[in-house]
Amino acid sequence: MGAAWLLRRLLASVAIIFAVVTFVFILIHVAPGRPCPETVERAVCEELKRQFGLDRPLPEQYWRYLVALAHGNMGNSYANGRPVRAAIAGTIPFTLQLAGAALVLDFLLGLGLGIYQAVRVNRIPDVVLGNVTLFIYSLPTFWLALLLLLAFGEKLRWFPVGGASDPVLCPVVHSLFCVADRLWHTVLPAATLGLVGAAGTARFQRAAMLEVARQDYVRTARAKGLPERRVVLRHQLRNALLSFVTRFGLAFPFLLTGAVLIETIFAWPGMGRLAFDAILLRDYPVVTGTALIASVVVVAGNLLADILVGLADPRLRVRAPTDVEVVTA
Amino acid sequence: MTLGTWLALFVALVVTAEIVRVLRHRAMRHERWRRFFRHRTTTWGLGILTFLVIVALAAPLVAPYDPDKQLDIVHLKNHPPSWTFLLGTDVLSRDVWSRTVYGARVSLGIGALGALVAVALGTLVGAVAGYYQRWIDAVLMRGVDVGLALPRIFILLMAVALWDGLPFAALIIVIGLTSWFGTSRLVRAEVLSLRQRDFVVAARALGAGSGRVIFRHVLPNAAAPIIVSAALGVGNVLLLEASLSFLGIGVKPPEPTWGNMIADNAPSIYTAPWSTLFPGLAISLVVLSLNAVADGVRDALDPRAEAA
Amino acid sequence: MLSAMQRRSFPSLTVFLILVVAGLAACERRGGCTGENCGTIIDAAVAEPGTLLPPSSEDIVANDIDEQLFLKLADVGMSENTLGDEDFQPLLAQKWEWDGPLTLVFHLDPRARWQDGQPVTAADVEFTFNAYNDSVVASPFRPKLHRIASVTQRDSLTAVFRFRERYPEMFYDAVYHMRILPAHKLRPVPRDQWRTAPFGREPVGDGPYRFVRWQPAQSIELVADSTFFLGRPGIRRLIWRFTPNLQVAVQQAIADEADVREQLVTPENVERARAAKQLAIYTYRGNVYTFLSFNQRAPDDTTKPHPIFADREVRRALAMAVDRASMVKSALGDLAKVPPGPMSALLWIWDPDIRQLPYDTAQANRILNARGWRDHDGDGVRDKDGQPLAFHMLFPTTSVLRRQYALLLQEQFRAIGVRAEVDAVEGAVVNQRVATGKFDTAILSRSNDPSPSSGIAQSWTRAGFGGSNFGRYDNPAFERLVDRAVTTTRRDQARALWRAAMETLNADAPGIFLYALDNVAAVHKRVDNVQLRPDSWAAVLRTWRIPPDRLIDRDRVER
Repeated sequence: MGAAWLLRRLLASVAIIFAVVTFVFILIHVAPGRPCPETVERAVCEELKRQFGLDRPLPEQYWRYLVALAHGNMGNSYANGRPVRAAIAGTIPFTLQLAGAALVLDFLLGLGLGIYQAVRVNRIPDVVLGNVTLFIYSLPTFWLALLLLLAFGEKLRWFPVGGASDPVLCPVVHSLFCVADRLWHTVLPAATLGLVGAAGTARFQRAAMLEVARQDYVRTARAKGLPERRVVLRHQLRNALLSFVTRFGLAFPFLLTGAVLIETIFAWPGMGRLAFDAILLRDYPVVTGTALIASVVVVAGNLLADILVGLADPRLRVRAPTDVEVVTA
Repeated sequence: MTLGTWLALFVALVVTAEIVRVLRHRAMRHERWRRFFRHRTTTWGLGILTFLVIVALAAPLVAPYDPDKQLDIVHLKNHPPSWTFLLGTDVLSRDVWSRTVYGARVSLGIGALGALVAVALGTLVGAVAGYYQRWIDAVLMRGVDVGLALPRIFILLMAVALWDGLPFAALIIVIGLTSWFGTSRLVRAEVLSLRQRDFVVAARALGAGSGRVIFRHVLPNAAAPIIVSAALGVGNVLLLEASLSFLGIGVKPPEPTWGNMIADNAPSIYTAPWSTLFPGLAISLVVLSLNAVADGVRDALDPRAEAA
Repeated sequence: MLSAMQRRSFPSLTVFLILVVAGLAACERRGGCTGENCGTIIDAAVAEPGTLLPPSSEDIVANDIDEQLFLKLADVGMSENTLGDEDFQPLLAQKWEWDGPLTLVFHLDPRARWQDGQPVTAADVEFTFNAYNDSVVASPFRPKLHRIASVTQRDSLTAVFRFRERYPEMFYDAVYHMRILPAHKLRPVPRDQWRTAPFGREPVGDGPYRFVRWQPAQSIELVADSTFFLGRPGIRRLIWRFTPNLQVAVQQAIADEADVREQLVTPENVERARAAKQLAIYTYRGNVYTFLSFNQRAPDDTTKPHPIFADREVRRALAMAVDRASMVKSALGDLAKVPPGPMSALLWIWDPDIRQLPYDTAQANRILNARGWRDHDGDGVRDKDGQPLAFHMLFPTTSVLRRQYALLLQEQFRAIGVRAEVDAVEGAVVNQRVATGKFDTAILSRSNDPSPSSGIAQSWTRAGFGGSNFGRYDNPAFERLVDRAVTTTRRDQARALWRAAMETLNADAPGIFLYALDNVAAVHKRVDNVQLRPDSWAAVLRTWRIPPDRLIDRDRVER
């Protein structure tokens, strides 16, 4: 693929991230009520402001922030003085673990169901599955989380009711057992996110396959008398997977958003919860930091999808097609 | 529940059935609308939505109690569903059915208004970008890229949490302002392709102004994606509102929204699940119906649709 | 992302892994710690501390952990008696004596050591007092030390306290509020940065437990110091596990993922915990009261009176409009009482017969009418000079109970034509707002010290302006009564004076005192000698034990 095209996309991505950072910085600094940490006297508060450079003019603060960022320094949390980079770095493995597990469930289950439905289109299994996926797709994730927690956590006790690991046996991963422990803790939150995602993926994949089925070359293939199985797998699936790649890129915002609610409900020490707590605490350096990382992830996901699509089908290289925005909450 | 409320409920059901029947009857005359009613789910979705809208409008007739009234905080707290309290009472001894009904007003209202703002803005931006192209397109679409790059709930949380006590109208506007990016891309793509079509080219050649071309010729032909994204948008906004309220930073209590009802009662889900279960079901039902209707609209308005 | 995905690409593989590894783990667990002094206790905590540095932190979880890390000179006993010094238990101080009426001399235990090996000295005590007393450190405990003039070292093991005046609770003030800090560790840290100092996230203490690790948003782990000079702690390992709210915390105890939930709060939770086979329920005296605080100064300018709450009559009317007894019954059943003033049942001055404003909505309506607050425009909300009788009610997002109370109050105010808007914000933001006076009303919870002298005087007199008298209640008659009560040596006289003081305060209605919880804890049944001291449940955690025959997997595990 063209190096120039890739370079252009990369530059555009960087520009987007830069714009996001600027936007968040502005949003935060026009917000009312500059915080001083609790139970602090006025004099001490002034001291704190000086210490964090909050008393300087806004452009200067912005410039200093950018310079620090260029050096990989995101500042320190107002709330507890930890470096923001360390705080975020500590949460990323957990968010990746949760999002990764959810993604796997989402795509394996979603693709499987979608393909199956497309093959059996308008027959009973398709109709039943269509209604089931539609229902699951319509559930509020936080509500589903509450129900799963109630059923499988407290009532049946199959899975832990919160947290990312057993604090006694596995505060850090040091054995195979701890990997299993982590997975066991991942099941409920990942299932919550993954099920809703999978329902969406199944609907999407079914529609994409049927869309392809209408294309001329598929009709031709069928008219030539190729076996149905072969038509579906060779032609429909391959081309439908292409649009699916785009969906892969779009899954990131969904997982990040879901993460805020799910991580809060399941006491999961990920980035979503860090961001949410920071927003409520008005811990601005952490808010800007998490916003930066979140947008990097989203932009990288889009870029990746674009590249994959471009690789597979150069005609689409200019601008990847986009689906309707994914359900957000 | 008094006789009057049962009667009102019954009337609402009958009216719903009648509306759906009439609509369906009329639709049969048009090829594309026949496609709309082909799926049973779509019909049901339309029925549920119609019913909820009627109930929301007629809330004072259908709800036996004042939704905020704490009937008896000592003796009627977490009362299970019964003939008097159709869906039980909540932790503050308020009637869950009445709150669900009044909540339909607020939740559906927020959903509809938020989606209206979002779709209007998205359509406008998409149409302008797609029609004028060049630098206008570039600027607008890069803006959309930025908007899509930042997870929406993130912006919302910041806006809502940093300015706490955001009034109702502001909440709707903020939700609307953060929800239009996807729509604008869709509309832009549609406009881009329509722009090359003969009837648009002809209209421009005849000297019609850009505004006229956009509103009279281009947008009406791009109705399908706009309507679909509006329907999905209502569901999305509804879910957003519920999530925000669940996190304690959405619509202010005691306003009965479905999200607030879940937030109020989630702590007692173990002993009194009904007061959390029913508002959650209401949300799911509405979103489900909207998705089903969107599917139907897609089928009906998509000129290529045959088999889906 | 890729590695995370590779690790668990197939569900069947996951199941297989879990099975294999569970098998491995079963072998792994057979050995491990047996006998006495094993045992692990996991506490399901409802919040994560900001820092563990004692003078900079007032939050309850930090206090519970600091109880294990940093010793006081001496501490109150299970009797909670704060008068004199007979009932106090020696900790860092081996013994003490009075050197004249205003001078108290402590002799430190020579065996006491910081966990980095340095001895604990009188210099540390002197350093600690100066730090707690430094306005730059801004310790919330500072105002409680104002009757102590100075602390000096006589020799390396002897610290001398000098008081400004003589009163019955001198000893209590000297020992209760301060945890002794390691001067050699903290001296180099600038005082204005204590709140965010790295030491607060990796503390070095002198207590029965030492700090092991802090995993943000997950847990803090401590391990017993087997050479602790006051005796080896019974439990080997303590873990505080952070949860986002009470519901999750209770759930973890019930699901046997935690051993202790020291406060169950609602009858519903107690019922659920009782149903869990492995949990034992302990009831102990409550130390917290919750009230709706009226801000008597304008939210935007603390020098001006509040447009609504500066009027004593209006405050009284609002207090009379609230049916506190029914609210307690509805939300908390038998697990709480209506407090007869700003106090919990922990305080010896608690007396249900203290005169309070009655629940009388008719009277409340009459007063409001008489003060000119009538519904002139017919919108259901009273108004005066075009100003509606409407205000904001602040409470922390995380507190389910206070949210419930806010909604209960809102409805009861609505019934007399008063509009209250509820504002849920983060706990720290609530604290910040009330501390700077930027609020109308707030639902606040306050834990009592075992003595009324330090707490009540602090929160309801002029001395607490800018401190914890957030609503700026100010009544000289009340202050005179409190002063006399604090310095009176005879208990029955003091009781009468306190009672008079409380009745004066109640009549002024600086707040509505909503509920005082009884403490109900759920602790795993295998734990023996569970002692919960009402003012600080974790104060004697080092005496808890798990008999060797009751050890379970998480007790035995070695790492």
